[in-house]
Amino acid sequence: MALIEVQDLVKRFDGKEVLKGVNVLLSEGQSKVVMGASGCGKSTLLKCLNLLVAPTSGRIIFKGEDITRPGVDIHRLRQDIGFVFQHFALYTHLTVEENITLGLRKIRKMKTAAAREKAAFELERVGMFEHRKKYPAHLSGGQKQRAAIVRALAMDPAVLFLDEPTSALDPQMSREVVTVINKLYLDNITMFCVTHDPFLAKYISDSIVFMHEGVIVAEDIAERLFYEHDDPRIRQFYLSVIDHR
Amino acid sequence: MTFWNILLILVKGAGYTVLVTLASIGAGLAVGLLLAVLSLVRWKTVRLLLAAYTYVFRSIPVLVLLFIVFFGLPGMGIRIPPFFSMVLCLGLVSGAYLAEIFRGAMAAVSRDEITAAEAMGMKRVQIFLYVIWPQMFRMAVPGMTNEFTSILKYTPFAYTVGIPEIMKEAMSLAALTLRGLEIYLAVGILYYLIYKVFVVSFETLEKRFRIPGLAGE
Amino acid sequence: MDAFLQDLIHYSPQILAGLKNTLLLMAVMSIAGLAGGIGVFYLTLGKNRLLRWGTERYISFFIGTPLLVHLFLMYYGLPQLGIRLSAFAVAVIGFTLNVSAYNARYLMTAYNGLDKTQIEAARAQGFRFGQTFRLIILPQTLRLSVPSLTNQVIQNLKDTSVAFLIQYPDFFAQMQEIASTNFQFLKTYVAAGLVYLALVSVIVAAARRLERKTALPGLETLDHA
Ligand SMILES: Nc1ncnc2c1ncn2[C@@H]1O[C@H](COP(=O)(O)OP(=O)(O)OP(=O)(O)O)[C@@H](O)[C@H]1O
Ligand SMILES: [Mg+2]
Repeated sequence: MALIEVQDLVKRFDGKEVLKGVNVLLSEGQSKVVMGASGCGKSTLLKCLNLLVAPTSGRIIFKGEDITRPGVDIHRLRQDIGFVFQHFALYTHLTVEENITLGLRKIRKMKTAAAREKAAFELERVGMFEHRKKYPAHLSGGQKQRAAIVRALAMDPAVLFLDEPTSALDPQMSREVVTVINKLYLDNITMFCVTHDPFLAKYISDSIVFMHEGVIVAEDIAERLFYEHDDPRIRQFYLSVIDHR
Repeated sequence: MTFWNILLILVKGAGYTVLVTLASIGAGLAVGLLLAVLSLVRWKTVRLLLAAYTYVFRSIPVLVLLFIVFFGLPGMGIRIPPFFSMVLCLGLVSGAYLAEIFRGAMAAVSRDEITAAEAMGMKRVQIFLYVIWPQMFRMAVPGMTNEFTSILKYTPFAYTVGIPEIMKEAMSLAALTLRGLEIYLAVGILYYLIYKVFVVSFETLEKRFRIPGLAGE
Repeated sequence: MDAFLQDLIHYSPQILAGLKNTLLLMAVMSIAGLAGGIGVFYLTLGKNRLLRWGTERYISFFIGTPLLVHLFLMYYGLPQLGIRLSAFAVAVIGFTLNVSAYNARYLMTAYNGLDKTQIEAARAQGFRFGQTFRLIILPQTLRLSVPSLTNQVIQNLKDTSVAFLIQYPDFFAQMQEIASTNFQFLKTYVAAGLVYLALVSVIVAAARRLERKTALPGLETLDHA
């Protein structure tokens, strides 16, 4: 069943058309990766889907409901979508544990003890339990991103969005994070992930969507998109990203 | 009497307000720079004295200081005219704050540049004049603007020692006409205008001397 | 015994009453000014342009004009409209409006230095703006502003000395009265200065403690020795 269905999504920033009619489908349990050159509109697409950015036109059907209509409870919607950012975006004044329990307590209205227990369980899964009392400033990049993933997951979202989760990390830390996301993939967590990293893309996706200047030009599984597709834009993109590694 | 008339009468006092402000800024800069340069001395007694100075003049209210100087010192046979009393007090107090600002700005000048200057064989005075001073002055601009604004806002105290600045004019006028509302509103507007002129001229100066990559925080 | 000291002892009930008034005024305006500052800061983050513009003007006006003018405007101006406030009320209102503007400015400066992705993260998590403000923005900006906010308390204490100009019987007002009866102007005013010095020392010590207690990794304030 389709969890998210995007129809002819358009986004203009003061006259500049960034998304030019995007159509994409994400089923429950599916993991999709979005790739494409810098500035082609990937982050904008992701942010439109949880209404962090207001779409200009088009329809976004989430769980069978058009969320672009007026009167939609955007807070409820966002509570159902986990979001992981490139630069972690952990709350500086809270420990790892508090970062995770804040949403559980204030949004899910869980009791502190129950929230802690849940945080502990989730942290254990990504090998971060021992760091739970630390502040973000005392964590490595890889640890921060794992904490951020747990923060999003602990809310039991219907889908997890990740916007370049590894691109602020060095290769070693990047690997830690890929391993974690791969585990989620194997657990059939529904994911929608933007990345430039073909390595990450390959290990966490059922299929890859390729975007170019605000439109989706191809969708395929990693092997075919990377090695067999003959669209020159895709070839060029692929060469540029493997060059960087 | 219209609001306009009131404003015109008060403008007469504005000259004194600006004069007191500018003179106090001058005094404050002199004191502040002197203290900042002295803080480079590694002599312990000097440091202690500097700390004590800062502490005292940042703790005693300007008004109390003014009363000590103007009403108190004559008891020791020291008589300072009203204008100079006011300027002295504001100079001493703002000097303490400005010294901190300058010290912060000096500390922000890159250590490497000083080493480079030393390697070129520059003397300490030269290093200060050619390397530290031009940079610290620019970095200190926002802090200085704040401090100068403070000075402007302390100037109404001058009426307590009889200087015919805006506030004094306003009080005489209010006693005469009993129209405090319009009068003090006009005073507020006048001060705000002076404040704006100060801030804008400072920003213009700052832009004129701005160097890419070097900005006050 | 020294005649001056005897005077001080003789007038000590009056001095203490003044001191009480000074401290009361300082406490009230510090607390109200903090609350007001937070409120004004909240308004500056709002979506409504007109409201934001108004708030900016308010801050700029109070930072750009002398405190004494605000006090005189209310104390000598308002009666013209039939509104007669006590010196204490005028002082509290005037000081609070003033201190709120400054505190809001400090919080805004701290806010500008914040890592804004956290705020986006909070939005993405489904927090309402009020929650984001209370749970994320405020705890961080307050921590970062501790030095400025506590400096403001020192400033508040010093500013209470202005209140006698609208006939509020504060500590300095009492000292002046004593000076005008014993004619020991220098000694009396220096004594007043020393009392302010002592009170500031207490605030400074408390501020240092507060700073140490509230600092968190990643949210330490710059050392301002
Ligand atoms: N709030 C905004 N206002 C104006 N323009 C914006 C805004 N956000 C994004 N844009 C523009 O939209 C375009 C697409 O931005 P977006 O961040 O979606 O790109 P991206 O594909 O995520 O790029 P990257 O790989 O660098 O993250 C860019 O040209 C950007 O400048
Ligand atoms: Mg992006």
